[in-house]
Amino acid sequence: MGRSPSDLIIFVLKRLVQLIPVLFGVIVLTFFFTHLDAGNICNAWYPHAGAATIKNCEATANQPILTQFYQYFINLLQGNWGASVTGVLVYPYIAAAVPATLELVLAALFIMIFIGIPLGVIAAQYSGRLGDHLVRIFYLSGWATPTYLGAVIAAVFVGPYLGLPNHGEYSTLAPPFHQYTHMSVLDALIAGNLPYTIDAISHLILPAAVLAFINMGIATRMTRASMLEVLPLDYVRSARMKGLTEFWVMYKHALRNALITTTTVLGVTAGGLLAGTVVVEEVFDWPGIGQYAYTAIGGGGSTPNYAGAVAVVIIFAVAVVVANLIADILYGVLDPRVDWR
Amino acid sequence: MTEPVLRIQNLSISYTVGAGTFQAVSDVTLDIYPGRVVGIVGETGCGKSTLAQAIPRLMPEPPGSIGAGRIMFRGTDLVKVPKSKMPMVRGTGIGMIFQEPLNSLNPAYRVFDQIVESIQIRHFRDLGLVKSFQGGDKPFDYSKRPTTSVGSALTKGIVPDGAAEQAVKERIRTKSDYRKEVLDYLRLVRINDPETIIDLYPHELSGGMRQRIMIAMALSEKPSLLIADEPTSALDVTIQAQVLTLMKDLIDEVDASILFISHDLGVIAETADEIGVMYAGRIIEYGPVDEVFRSPRHPYTKMLLAAAPRIYKADGSLRSIPGNVPNLSRPPPGCRFHPRCPIAKPICKVDPPPLAPVPPSDPALAPDAHKSACYFPEEVPGLP
Repeated sequence: MGRSPSDLIIFVLKRLVQLIPVLFGVIVLTFFFTHLDAGNICNAWYPHAGAATIKNCEATANQPILTQFYQYFINLLQGNWGASVTGVLVYPYIAAAVPATLELVLAALFIMIFIGIPLGVIAAQYSGRLGDHLVRIFYLSGWATPTYLGAVIAAVFVGPYLGLPNHGEYSTLAPPFHQYTHMSVLDALIAGNLPYTIDAISHLILPAAVLAFINMGIATRMTRASMLEVLPLDYVRSARMKGLTEFWVMYKHALRNALITTTTVLGVTAGGLLAGTVVVEEVFDWPGIGQYAYTAIGGGGSTPNYAGAVAVVIIFAVAVVVANLIADILYGVLDPRVDWR
Repeated sequence: MTEPVLRIQNLSISYTVGAGTFQAVSDVTLDIYPGRVVGIVGETGCGKSTLAQAIPRLMPEPPGSIGAGRIMFRGTDLVKVPKSKMPMVRGTGIGMIFQEPLNSLNPAYRVFDQIVESIQIRHFRDLGLVKSFQGGDKPFDYSKRPTTSVGSALTKGIVPDGAAEQAVKERIRTKSDYRKEVLDYLRLVRINDPETIIDLYPHELSGGMRQRIMIAMALSEKPSLLIADEPTSALDVTIQAQVLTLMKDLIDEVDASILFISHDLGVIAETADEIGVMYAGRIIEYGPVDEVFRSPRHPYTKMLLAAAPRIYKADGSLRSIPGNVPNLSRPPPGCRFHPRCPIAKPICKVDPPPLAPVPPSDPALAPDAHKSACYFPEEVPGLP
């Protein structure tokens, strides 16, 4: 059996190598979907640009499609992701927006894991009784809430009621320290600025909670279902017989096995979380990729930003693929029956 | 006479399924004395596993529930212990080996992690670090607990008399100490290569090996009562023989009373000192193994023994007991065996016969050593 740490490195490397063709496929699809579009692509890319730019663009657009793809691919690798109509470069903007979204998604995942999973355990423990019903009402109401509605209710009613900020990353526009990571809480921590750290966390709570509440259902529901599968098994009884308290029986013995399924499903929800960020970030004015996506497709009356939209599609696709990769690796780590070699 | 380790009195257990109630165990009385091995034998569904699981209160409640009776363990009635406090009782003096070794080990943890848990729980309880079962009238009265905790020993250690520090040193164990102890238990259950086995996951082990691990896990709690619920039934015949040999060796080595549940008469004959024969939730015959096997005094026992396949039997045909096991949601009135009994009389259909002493065939035995729940035990030897 290959379960030594060196085997794990091979296991992860193998998965990473498998990632390369997937990512290439994503780029191919995005490119051809956006370039095989009928009509004058240059007008779409540069709707208000001058004649010189359009002419430049048309010179490119008249080249064979494979040449264009080669050029596009090289540019992509070099970080030359184009610019919006107003001349704002896409790459630097996205490089700052991705960490902000990552922070939001990680915070939402944190809530889903540390609240959603224990709720699933409680529901399974009290299956068919009041606790189970309350948990199910809770996660189903999250599941049934449209993102825009949940976000607006949280921003307009819940936030002011709890005294939580509902706008941006910090209370001031520009924090008095350098943003190394573009993750608001982490940057404040690196700067050692405690008031700003607290400020950043309080700004993070509402959007993360909304994102988590809407996607919580899948974590709770999967945990509940797999716990119900595990609880009647003999090894749970063995654990009880040892004299372990119900808490350890549930969380050490039963949940450890139930998590194997839940982890896989959580990886798949990454897509849902990202889709949620588009609305949540716009409502809470969170400077992340979701908000960027919203403005790039012309949301809120902004000028459409074709290069930006394409970049967002690629980023989202990469994010979903990477999330699945992480879930895949975690599955291998959690289930001792998976051979790493 | 010494006090019994476990004293079950008039225990009745029922399961409620839908609208029906199954009387799985009715009015069972059983004493297990220190160092004795009591075998319980019976057909599938006679309530023997329910009885075994009811002692540490492991049966699912609901649907199961204890209707009446007492389970006296170390001076405490386990029936009255609230469910939330049962974890403190389990693993304190009661060890259990289950029927299904394939599923009884947690697939996510290595052998070491599973056995060390039992050792740690016992260790912490011995130290007084966690609340635990005390036995007696007030089983959870922690005020009487001796102050042997590491914490109190440390505070005493401020006074430099040396003894307290020594006590602490002896009590605090490192992972390598635990590993040594786990290895000892693996050797105790005759595992040849404990250094390798200790780091394996259950799915990497064979059925017999897993059952050995289960036995090691139960023994590592240092139980005064070990309940073996069909420990060999799910294994291959050759492995069964190995595990049985191991169990027999351990019975002599380990200072524990054993309740051995099996449907296999041969297994009980080899291991037990005393045997209780269960039928439809009741113990219908009880006595020393040799006595019961040589001169059964209940028609069911007699017929069960006759039905056991023997390789050297003159005629090759297998015998069986005519009729079926009664439906326990509507058990027959009177003696539950009467519909299948060749010597049933009218009284058998009215009143259930009590488990009463019968004169033992061996005059060396105590007059009440052999009991049978039959009105006509003297007619049993005449049965074919």
